[in-house]
Amino acid sequence: MKFLCVPCDSPMKLQTVSPPASGSLSVVYSCPECGYEMAMLTNAYETQVVQSLGVRIGTAESAATTEGKCPFSAMIPGNQGVRSGEPFDEAQGGPIPMRWTAAAEARLANIPAFVRPMARTGIEKFARDKGTLEVDDKILDEARDFFGM
Amino acid sequence: MKSYHDIVGDGGSRVLEQVAEQRTRITDGLAGVRHLVAVGSGKGGVGKSTLTLHLAGALRARGLRIAILDADFNGPSQARMAGVEGAVFVPGRHKVALPRTKNGIGVFSMGSLIPESESLEFESAARGESQTWRATREFALLGEILGAFEWGDLDLLLFDLPPGAERTVQYADYLGPRTSFVLVTIPSEVSRGVVARSVAALSKAPFDGAQGRPDGAQGRPNRLLGYIENMSGYYCRDCNAIKPLFPSTRPPSDLAQGRRPDLEIACLGTVPFDPELARHCDDGVPLAELPDSPVGRALDEVAQQLLDRLETEPHP
Repeated sequence: MKFLCVPCDSPMKLQTVSPPASGSLSVVYSCPECGYEMAMLTNAYETQVVQSLGVRIGTAESAATTEGKCPFSAMIPGNQGVRSGEPFDEAQGGPIPMRWTAAAEARLANIPAFVRPMARTGIEKFARDKGTLEVDDKILDEARDFFGM
Repeated sequence: MKSYHDIVGDGGSRVLEQVAEQRTRITDGLAGVRHLVAVGSGKGGVGKSTLTLHLAGALRARGLRIAILDADFNGPSQARMAGVEGAVFVPGRHKVALPRTKNGIGVFSMGSLIPESESLEFESAARGESQTWRATREFALLGEILGAFEWGDLDLLLFDLPPGAERTVQYADYLGPRTSFVLVTIPSEVSRGVVARSVAALSKAPFDGAQGRPDGAQGRPNRLLGYIENMSGYYCRDCNAIKPLFPSTRPPSDLAQGRRPDLEIACLGTVPFDPELARHCDDGVPLAELPDSPVGRALDEVAQQLLDRLETEPHP
């Protein structure tokens, strides 16, 4: 979709994108010639069509993302609760949290959101089974070898 | 006043640009794959997924590098059958490593991510109106999978397609001209009729080349390698014989009178049903671990036919 400032016959430029609220996205365009501003307000269907394309409107800096979180994370077994054999933190009353090094987190962030929860859970279990509470590049590479990848 | 095509760019929304970037990621990710083969039908319940997995096993047994993408997101079955239901997804340096079967077949299936007791649901701003966006979202998911996983150097990447003649065509449009198609039917005339519709739909050019597309691709019919007749009888281990499952097909005179659908593409082979094999599928045991059987030999012949057709069948 493109917007044209009719009096100036000039293409309008995207200025800001507000995050979806109640299914509606607010996108502000302005004319570089006369400065006139207009806002495109989408309905839920239009918002969803953009989300369904797996894209976001505008650049990462200028735009609020319309995607990014796992689309079906609620259905994927998470990290809640303590599994058999997990180290237990008496003071916190829960499992001892795993530490991820910056490099390992970067590798995790590099994969699609819909795989991330499952990957995190599986890797942390692998690390615990190896007797460590830290996930780093070495653990990730070992997991890759272990699982025959 | 300027028209849409007079204006260069999109004013900063970058939607088209991002779609093009997705395409590039997919193209780059599949650069090391020699053949893309989609196994479809149009008809449900004909054994596409089982055949896909066992065909992959037969090809793997020949030393080929094989992966399967279970494109049936709403009814994934490859994870269980291939034994990768509880697979751990490991982030690589740039992409996600592909889970593998015991015999080295790479498998992506939503069944590895979502328990069988759950259905696939997407976050949505337009909940309750999924008919307006669901297919688009599923193809975006397919694009994410193709772009995000390490397919590496493969001889064949097999797509296990969902049922539905229209879905088969949608996948053909999405996957593009590099992809070849194999259709699966069973001997029933109802099934052959539905598969004949898929053949007709796939044989049409996907879009008018005169109009072109933004990516500059030209329209041409899809490459149909042939069909496989599954459940062509069943293998009785007690008798060590193939027995009929369906009534005998009608005589050729019925074909001439239009009562028996002619698929008009090559038959890559017939595969009998083996109850033992079905049981092993439920348990995730690969074909290679089964003793020699008529089904295994039939699959091996289909694999050979498929490889021959890949080398000799020209792209339309």
